[in-house]
Amino acid sequence: MDFTFTDDERAFQDAISRFLMTEAAPEALREIWETDAGRSPDLRNKMAEQGLTALSIPEEAGGLGMGDVVWSLMTQELGYYGIPDSLADTAYVSAGLIAALPETVADRNGWLEQIAEGSIRIAVGHPVNPLVADAHLADFTLLNHEGEIHAVPRSLIDVEHNASIDSSRRLCRVMWEPSNSTRVADAETGAPIWEEALNRGALSVAGQLLGLAQRMLDLSVDYVAQRKQFGKPIGSFQAVKHHLADVASKIEFAKPVLYRAAYSLQHGQADAALHISQAHVACAEAAHLAARHGIQVHGAMGYTWEVDLQMFMKRTWALESSWGDRAFHKARISAAIFADDAPLGPGQTFGRS
Amino acid sequence: MKVLVAVKRVIDYNVKVRVKSDHTDVDLANVKMALNPFCEIAVEEAVRLKEAGTASEVVVVSIGPKACQEQIRTALALGADRGIQIETDTMPESLNVAKLLAKVVEAEQPQLVILGKQSIDADNNQTGQMLGALLDLPQGTFASDVKVAGDKVNVTREVDGGLQTLALNLPAIVTTDLRLNEPRYASLPNIMKAKKKPLEVKTPTDLGVELKSHTRLLNVTPPAERQAGIRVSSVDELVDKLKNEAKVLRGG
Repeated sequence: MDFTFTDDERAFQDAISRFLMTEAAPEALREIWETDAGRSPDLRNKMAEQGLTALSIPEEAGGLGMGDVVWSLMTQELGYYGIPDSLADTAYVSAGLIAALPETVADRNGWLEQIAEGSIRIAVGHPVNPLVADAHLADFTLLNHEGEIHAVPRSLIDVEHNASIDSSRRLCRVMWEPSNSTRVADAETGAPIWEEALNRGALSVAGQLLGLAQRMLDLSVDYVAQRKQFGKPIGSFQAVKHHLADVASKIEFAKPVLYRAAYSLQHGQADAALHISQAHVACAEAAHLAARHGIQVHGAMGYTWEVDLQMFMKRTWALESSWGDRAFHKARISAAIFADDAPLGPGQTFGRS
Repeated sequence: MKVLVAVKRVIDYNVKVRVKSDHTDVDLANVKMALNPFCEIAVEEAVRLKEAGTASEVVVVSIGPKACQEQIRTALALGADRGIQIETDTMPESLNVAKLLAKVVEAEQPQLVILGKQSIDADNNQTGQMLGALLDLPQGTFASDVKVAGDKVNVTREVDGGLQTLALNLPAIVTTDLRLNEPRYASLPNIMKAKKKPLEVKTPTDLGVELKSHTRLLNVTPPAERQAGIRVSSVDELVDKLKNEAKVLRGG
């Protein structure tokens, strides 16, 4: 298995990183939070112009036809820069879900083209998430009714806002009535599609958590290199170094787990769900530790509104339980490795092609 | 009208530059490299001329090791049409760069050559001027506005006293200042398209230029570290320090 990224994938990551570094600085994000909708159409349009929304749309629908592996890099960038917009829900999770719909769904190709252009916003209401992110702004929301898939336009849903610990998130409780006109797939067709959407959503969150972990580590390293005590930068003290070295090693060990999960999903491997749950757990652990040690090395200041660390820390706490919490993913891992036919042992680990 | 843009691979402007421990040079090991920001402005200006229908082709040239093809590809992703790399083992000094570019200009016959006013690594601010002298072409340096009008180009320059506008006969050399434009980002579809654009590799020998060294790097030292501030107990003490230590106030 080759985990190295192609030049294209790395070039894409660099390009998006450079773009977000300039366009989504923390002060710009704080301004966006203050708006009523909590979202910036301007930033979203610019992200679409960069081609981010077209990334995994098939080429025949005007996209770039890339897969889950490149998204494992892009979601890290979205996390690193703390992008509040649920862009990955539209461009990654919904795009995969819609592409998996039967060709007979009349709007399927039109929706894919609109996602690629960046002219549509789609929210996803999977049963694993009790609340739907950005449903108040979505042109339509993909919802589950007893396994069926419904594409419900904004006019047919009522939303009730629900506060999040991360004030940049906009979560909604969605009230709606299923009907034949909104159904785009029956329960039998919908089951594997919902399963894949769950995997993609969890993978997207895992990538964002890893990006958040790296950001919090970078902020902490910058801080401890500047803050002086006893005449020296506090980063020169071993106890502080160890805190951050622990975070760095957690991040490094979570990366291959994330990349393997993305590879498994992209190549339709049988144990993709297991790998994705492992990635969600590993990346959440890295981000959680980065948040905890980040606050420690910043002193009490790390929790304050004025210090940017809190933006990324609260996003971490919110995302940890998004698209399945720790218990949910550990249960999936447990079910996979304790199954009677679990592919375990050295022959399964090293002998696979 | 053909436009030639020269671009340089430099340390990314976000990277904190470190000096090698033996002070022989800056440390480039594992450092992120990028397109020189002034060169990016030059590419953007050329692409805008093309989008406005003034330019018909934008050719990008870079000089350096194979890795500088990355920066040529970036320029192609920003909208340039084709690239030329002149392969050298090291980054040659300004006069050599100007001589190589002069040969490219003779071969390509562009009407306009746009360069960054300087690279952010060496800060020499020499190449554009040397190229103008070697080719005996008019030059508009530190441009903050470029307008092509018929067989002339009007270049507004940022000078100490304000703005100066020159009308240059084409072909001409223009070097860009910071405020000329705000470069676009390379979009993902354009990065893909850039891979298919032609990139020609040449050597100084192909161009008949012998690279000679006219300067020798003796020593590189980092800037002095800023000292921590101190708290003074009274205005009198502050005034005393400003007079006698900082020497920014005269006695009286």
